[in-house]
Amino acid sequence: MYDLAIIGGGPGGYVAAIRGAQHGLKVLLVEKDALGGTCLNRGCIPTKCFIYDTKLLEAAKTSQLLTGIEALSVDLNKMVARKRGTVKTLVSGLEAIMGSHKIVVARGLGELTSPGRIKVHPIEGPTREHEARHVILATGSRPLVLPFIKVDGHFIQTTDQALDSENIPEKIVIIGGGVIGIEMATIYLNLGSDVTILELLPDILGTEDKEIRLAMGRLLDQRGAKIHLKAKAREARIKGKEVEVVFEDHSGKMVTLRANRLLVATGRAPVLDGIESDRLGLETVGQFVKVNSRLETSLPGVYAIGDLVGGQMLAHKASAEAEVVVANILGGNREVKPNLVPRCIWGLTEIGAIGLSEEEAKAGGRSIKVGRFPFMNSGAAQAMGNKNGFVKIIGDAETGEIMGVHILGEHATDLIGEAVTAMTMEAAVEDLAQAIKPHPTLSEAVMEAAMDWNSLAIHSPKR
Amino acid sequence: MATEVVLPMLGITVEKGKIVEWVKKEGDSVEKGETIFVVEVEKATTEVESPAGGILAKILVPEGVEVPVLTVVGIITEPGEKFSEEDVPQAESPSSVDSVDSVTMVTPQENAPMATGPDGIIKAVPAARRMAKEHGIHLQDISGTGPDGLIFAGDVEAMIAGTARPSDVRASTLARRLAEKERIPLEQVAGTGVRDRIMRQDVQAFLKESETTGTPLGTVIPMSTVRKVIARKMSESAFSAPHIYFFTDTCLDPLLEFRSVVLPGLEKRFDLRLSINDFIIKAVALNILDFPMLNAQIKGEDIHIMSEVNVGLAVAMPEGLIVPAIKNADRSGLVDIARQRIDLVQRARQGKLTLEEMERGTFTISSLAQYDITHFTAILNPPQSGILSIGKTDEKLVMEKGQVKVKRIAQIGLSVDHRIIDGAMAADFLQNLKWKLERPSITYLTV
Repeated sequence: MYDLAIIGGGPGGYVAAIRGAQHGLKVLLVEKDALGGTCLNRGCIPTKCFIYDTKLLEAAKTSQLLTGIEALSVDLNKMVARKRGTVKTLVSGLEAIMGSHKIVVARGLGELTSPGRIKVHPIEGPTREHEARHVILATGSRPLVLPFIKVDGHFIQTTDQALDSENIPEKIVIIGGGVIGIEMATIYLNLGSDVTILELLPDILGTEDKEIRLAMGRLLDQRGAKIHLKAKAREARIKGKEVEVVFEDHSGKMVTLRANRLLVATGRAPVLDGIESDRLGLETVGQFVKVNSRLETSLPGVYAIGDLVGGQMLAHKASAEAEVVVANILGGNREVKPNLVPRCIWGLTEIGAIGLSEEEAKAGGRSIKVGRFPFMNSGAAQAMGNKNGFVKIIGDAETGEIMGVHILGEHATDLIGEAVTAMTMEAAVEDLAQAIKPHPTLSEAVMEAAMDWNSLAIHSPKR
Repeated sequence: MATEVVLPMLGITVEKGKIVEWVKKEGDSVEKGETIFVVEVEKATTEVESPAGGILAKILVPEGVEVPVLTVVGIITEPGEKFSEEDVPQAESPSSVDSVDSVTMVTPQENAPMATGPDGIIKAVPAARRMAKEHGIHLQDISGTGPDGLIFAGDVEAMIAGTARPSDVRASTLARRLAEKERIPLEQVAGTGVRDRIMRQDVQAFLKESETTGTPLGTVIPMSTVRKVIARKMSESAFSAPHIYFFTDTCLDPLLEFRSVVLPGLEKRFDLRLSINDFIIKAVALNILDFPMLNAQIKGEDIHIMSEVNVGLAVAMPEGLIVPAIKNADRSGLVDIARQRIDLVQRARQGKLTLEEMERGTFTISSLAQYDITHFTAILNPPQSGILSIGKTDEKLVMEKGQVKVKRIAQIGLSVDHRIIDGAMAADFLQNLKWKLERPSITYLTV
């Protein structure tokens, strides 16, 4: 009898396992593949490896200082190998941590037979059933592919295959202008591919603040990416050594594109392998498992976290939910506030954001003020030689509550951490303005934006 | 020689005052008797005159800070005299200790953000230092409630009694701001954040609970200054003045009829609306002229019959009851009474009454006519000797000369200080008042 059994060893499941073990629970973790889940094996980490590698190439190729750059190219095999090595290091590190906590890791597909009962189906060997007082479902998600598209893995790919491809497509079409589509487009643009993005919605990166979307759209445009908005993909077929993609453009006209590859980045669907929701009586919302704010499902003693429950499908959201669930199992009463979950995008430059966009904040009916600071005015950004970016802070005019922070530019994904801490601690905009920042760093830009919120920025002309 | 400017004793019950404005600034010359600062006490503001002529050399208590009465708030030097910091009373100076415990002065570190001066000395009044020393308490362990953290004797007392507030309530900025806005004492809010830090949701939960259930059961609310004053006055009155109560049914038909006749003309001519209370105030004032003992106050062994008839009107405020008084109501016309009443009530709501307006009353009227209350007994507003309590006006069946009639009747009550007013006199007063109210054309004839 375990205290806690977890199905899925991704950033939701393994965090729950470690946290549970730290508090003295006897923990079983069921994983059918490698620890670390999508994030570590097929998502966050592999894409970041490629982003930084290809960014280095792009920076070198476009350098105004380096000489002999004409002949520069990247060894894709080595890039893939570095990524594999990185993933391997991290996965084996996780395994060591699991071992140190005496967490039992069962390899195989985990099946929830009833609340408190889990069957593990290994690839080889006999099935075993386990009992546990508490069960956390953390089975994650997989790429969602449009029904008329057949992924062959070579010409038509999802990120699952794209991150292991050993050749660079000359011309690529990406269906989906969300976070995954934009990050993959960045990798291909840096590698020199001709990139076309088809987005169904009126804009790319629909969840982000309008100024951020505009700035990123402009960068993509400058780098030659072709973006079709309100574009409905209709057909995709392999013709010889090419892919033919048919889509209906914003005016309703049918357009045919030919490319060497098609990447489908149209979102992700929850993985319910081994969880027969109908038979178990597990309530769902659409495809996702339904949970309350304490992350309890409709089944007693069964919790669900991460991509499986929908919302923001982010590794750190899953990890935060894992901690909350364990705290609640131990008698606490915590919840994850969606508004305090940051969002990071590694595009042609970085985006870090948290909380409400200006449009959402205005729609909420509260009186708001916006503070801005451009990297152009930052000594650190100028010295770095990359002054493309800005910090934008939205605060409640009356209480000073930080309602949203949006950063575009180099290191935005790190810079947003400060806003996350400030908002979690319920600091006011003025608190952010009063914290002393080291000079010369980009973190000063956050402070200056907070100062600008009260029209008191130092390195900005009088406004 | 330098002269200390102190926050004066502003009334027998006044403990603290807040300087809302320094009319004179540091370096200004000032005449003796000239207004030097404005102090707010019990929501009323009073101008304070300079005790001496010279130069206002130093302001020790800035605007917006509440300090006990008799606190030295500034220093005046003679013209030509050079001001030195030594002229400022020092915290340890025994000469500055006076009879009123805990009431002394502020050390001179202007703008010092902490209770600790630049020299590392903790700012505390001498009485507090003495008491702390006697009880072996370290001043640095005490969180002062005075300006810039100045420690008063009361803070030491609270420490000794174990009722001192934690010097540092840990709360987020947003929680603090919400608590400030909603006037919630953070000490009573349970924190759910890291290490029980108070988060905004905790304040919201507290607010919600207070809204749905009133003040939550089991909470402790520190009395506001206003409430303390009311509490002291009420118990002083209830326990020192033996009250007797009288009630009489008064037919208001003639007065209501009279008012409806005179109202349109007066409204047109003076642009104000006479309320029924204005008529009652006038009738009471006229009745006091017939029974001057109801305008009396006990002072020591003497009964002082006050020379002015100032009729106070109890005004309910969220912070508590206040009683601004209409001056010379006996000699004022109805229109003047109405004007005074409108102005006083309006300024009461804005917190802009002067202390004089609140303390000049010689008789009080308390009306609950807008409530479904037939009658009530009122506690005297000390040091006054009479208070009238007015209940609602009801239509009632009355026998008159063998006939059943419908009349609008209000029950009017009178509470008097039995030490100086005998039952017969009180009954006579109330009966005569009833007579006046029921015969308005005669009562207000001279108006």
